[in-house]
Parts: sequence; C-alpha cells; structure tokens
Amino acid sequence: MTRRFLILLIALALISPIFGVWLANLINYHEPLDVAADLINQAANRTVLNDTRYRMNWTPFIDYTVPGLPDWAGYIVSAFIGLAIYFLLYTALVRWRHVKRTG
Amino acid sequence: MHIPDGYLDPISAGVTWAVMLAYGYYAYRRSELQKYMELAISLAAAIFVAQMLNWPIPGGTSLHMVGGALAAILLGPFVAFFVLLLVLLVQTLVFHDGGITTLGANVINMGVVAPLTGYAVYKVLRPRVGVFWSAFAAGWASITVAGIAAGLEIGLSPWFPYGWTISVPVMAGWHALLGLVEGAITGFVALYLSKRAPEYVRL
Repeated sequence: MTRRFLILLIALALISPIFGVWLANLINYHEPLDVAADLINQAANRTVLNDTRYRMNWTPFIDYTVPGLPDWAGYIVSAFIGLAIYFLLYTALVRWRHVKRTG
Repeated sequence: MHIPDGYLDPISAGVTWAVMLAYGYYAYRRSELQKYMELAISLAAAIFVAQMLNWPIPGGTSLHMVGGALAAILLGPFVAFFVLLLVLLVQTLVFHDGGITTLGANVINMGVVAPLTGYAVYKVLRPRVGVFWSAFAAGWASITVAGIAAGLEIGLSPWFPYGWTISVPVMAGWHALLGLVEGAITGFVALYLSKRAPEYVRL
C-alpha cells in the first residue's frame, strides 16, 4: 500500500458521513432493496419480505454505528474499523511472506 | 443490493451458500491468488470504504458503488471474487450489512455475477470503444445483471409468494438506474489507472 493510496482511503473515510449520514438523512434514505421490499409489502397489504436484522443482531456496530457516538462520528469510526481489519490482514500477509522468503 | 436475513428460506440459503463455496474453490484453482493477494486486500479496503459513500437520489434511495466490474478489470474475475468476498465478510460480520443466511446470495450477486458480467462486457468492448466507455458499460451491466440475479434469488424463494416475474423487473429497473453511477466511477478509475499506473490493470 503506497502512502498516496493510504491517504486516499483515510480521506474517503473522513468524508463518508457527508454521503452516508448527512445527505442520507436529508432525503430520508433507504437501501434500494428496502424500497423494493416496502413496495412489495404495500402491494400485498401484509409483510411478505421481513428484514430480521434488528431482531437477530450479533454486532454493536450494526449499520455502521458505534454505541454512544453520534451517527456521523460512528460512521467515521466504522470506516476506520473496516480499514484497520484490511490493514491488519495486509500486514500479516506481507510479514508471513517475508518470514517464508527469509526462512 | 445487500439481501438481509429473513428474505431467503433455509433451502435457498443453503443452495446459495453451496454455490458460493463451490465457485470459491473453482476461482481459487483458476486464479493466481497468492500472487495478487496484497493487491486484492488493498482493493477490498478501497471498495469497502467506497461502498460507504452513498449518493442519495431524491425519492428516498441512493447509489453506491459495488466495485465488482472494476475488480474484474483490474485483477480478473476470479481474484475479484475474493476481493468482494473480503468486502462482504467485513460488512456482514462487523456491521450487519447483509445477512449471514444470505451471505451466499450476496457473494453470488456481487462477487460472481457482477465481476463475470463486467469482465465479459469489458473484454468485448475494449478493442472497439476504448477504456472509458468499455469500463462504463462493464460497470453498468455488472450492476444491472447482479440486480436481476438478486431479484431471481428473492423471487425463487418460497417465502416470496409472487414469484420471480414480480421481483426481477423491480430489481432490474432499480439497478439499471443505479448502474449509471457504477459505470461512471468504473470508467473514470479504469481510465485513470490505465494512464497513470497501467501495471495495476490486468485486462
């Protein structure tokens, strides 16, 4: 990962709430699939497609939120949590390759 | 595009998981994953964060990148499978974006159908219309066909009483629209990389 690439990733993470939270709230955003599900449920007049996400949840970071933080801050922290996972994977792999090469 | 838990019945979930695992094994055998692993993880990180940038469109929905076509143009469709698998695993396990039971279907749509479609379209058009427009068409087609695949999976599940004739047009219509932004981003990134860093563009 070059320095420029890392700066790009960090910049994208920092501006992500502008799109993912602020503009999304402004227009009352829903995933396209949720919109389709709502249309189908409305047409049927009952719940046909039932999203069980909130009833069976396993993570405190559901929907890119962090407990105790406002949505915009949670979104940025979530982006960095994701990036940290890939960075750790990358570092582990590079190190493993290095150990393998040098014995 | 991320199908949540509760949309697919256990049999559909099992079948889609089995297809994902079988295709994963095939992709592993066909790709030189070891050689491209570092690039694949870097691209997964970039696609993960790019997918967080939702572009809202008036009417209450939004567009965000999926990245399947771009990954296929840069790394080939089989390494692209692992790129999108990495993205979806983090989204599902850490942020509950997409379900566990539907992970197989989501990986099929975004990690199999989108890259294969994008790869095929790009390969056919690239000698005729140049990098930007072939990548644009690849991005658009990848999302539209992946949307159709998602519509089929939901429509064929017995939990959905109307069948695929209802679910496919709804999903295809939405995603053909969303695909325009995917196409534009795929086109610009492919054009930029082919000029500035052609070593990253395999196709």
